[in-house]
Amino acid sequence: MENITPVSITELTNRIKSVMEFEFKFIYAEGEISNYKLHTPKGNMYFVLKDEKSAINAVMWNTHNSKLNFSPKDGLKVIVKGRISVWDTRGTYQIDVWEMNQSGLGDLQIAFERLKEKLRNEGLFDEFHKKPLPEFPENVAIITSETGAVLQDFKRVAEKRFPLINLKIFPAIMQGEGAAKTVINALKTANNPKYKIDVVCIARGGGSIEDLWAFNDESLAREIYNSKIPVVSAIGHETDFTICDFVSDKRAPTPSAAAEIILPDKNDYLERLNRFQYLIINIGTRKINSLTSDLNYIQNNYFFRKPLDTLNTFKINLDDYEEDLQKISIEKISKLNIKLNYIEKIFFNLSPENNLKRGYSIIKKGEKYISSVNELNLFDKISIKFKDGDKNAEVID
Amino acid sequence: MAKTSENENFEFNYKKLEKIMSKLESEIDETSLDELMKNYQEGLKLINICRQKLKEAELKIEKINSEYNI
Repeated sequence: MENITPVSITELTNRIKSVMEFEFKFIYAEGEISNYKLHTPKGNMYFVLKDEKSAINAVMWNTHNSKLNFSPKDGLKVIVKGRISVWDTRGTYQIDVWEMNQSGLGDLQIAFERLKEKLRNEGLFDEFHKKPLPEFPENVAIITSETGAVLQDFKRVAEKRFPLINLKIFPAIMQGEGAAKTVINALKTANNPKYKIDVVCIARGGGSIEDLWAFNDESLAREIYNSKIPVVSAIGHETDFTICDFVSDKRAPTPSAAAEIILPDKNDYLERLNRFQYLIINIGTRKINSLTSDLNYIQNNYFFRKPLDTLNTFKINLDDYEEDLQKISIEKISKLNIKLNYIEKIFFNLSPENNLKRGYSIIKKGEKYISSVNELNLFDKISIKFKDGDKNAEVID
Repeated sequence: MAKTSENENFEFNYKKLEKIMSKLESEIDETSLDELMKNYQEGLKLINICRQKLKEAELKIEKINSEYNI
């Protein structure tokens, strides 16, 4: 014994936990509630289940007890479904209750539980089989009593919420012997493609388990399961659950709630349309503004400004040239003037008149100017031009 | 005769509008101005049709008796 290493309490507890939780992973037990405590605000229920000789702790978490169809209290006999769970930190065990029903309720309740279990095992309640509801139903079928508040409630909500639908009423008897059959007939009819039904609602007001018994009918449950059109059940009030509720694609707590589940809200969509309008105008304006600013940017870009710059440079150059040209011209002209004056002077100095003034004479024979003695003969008549007049003479030598 | 938007139901018009909106919102940079103007006009038209349909709608009620008797 001394050779064996002791295990830790955690290890020991873990072993107990795994053995017990494996062994009792599903239990179905009957007992009497005592020491009942509702833990607020979370809503978890703690109590003891006992009989004459034994007692066991029990807990029903808020996730499960919201579906209870009665209020637990001390002394009440109940049948629970659940499992054993071990609480490591305290070393205690308890029943983790998933479902709880009052026991001794009679044959109806037992039949209900049996059918529910049977259909559940067949997979009629399976989540994956449930059909989604259309976003915008056009033809909505309601299977209900032609008279009575349910239809009026549904109509009122539909008118307020989404009056775009065609509400097709498939009358049925909603209570008593033969009621299930009329509901089945109505559901079959609604499934006829000629009515183009998008979603069907089976609706009935609240009542006792006997009043609602028609909706625990096995054939009706199968008809709902086989319906090609999504089915919303609104049978009874919040706490009343029927087989129809489990097999339907969606369960509504009341007929008015069913209308709200089935129909979109008109105001919601009017608001969305307003938002869309704002968005579409905003997007359009933004796009145009951004295009405009792009254009401005491109226009102001150097590449596009350059021709203007070049032109400006040309203009400046031209002005410069013009100025230069003027300057050069003036200089040139004045230079030319000086030269001209000089030439004029030379010309003047060289002119015959000027020579005459200086005392020279010009001899002409007829019209011919004489510049050599060889041009003259004896007795030639000549004219001599002086600065102050002409004289005729004769060659004598 | 081709169906016009006005003759189609709310859902048809609303879905079309949603498509235009998501296209406008996600692809605005790639959208040409022509396309934008087209979608803009189409969008505003659809918005008004949808609005009109919601505002003018009146609940139509019809009674249908069971065809079966089992």
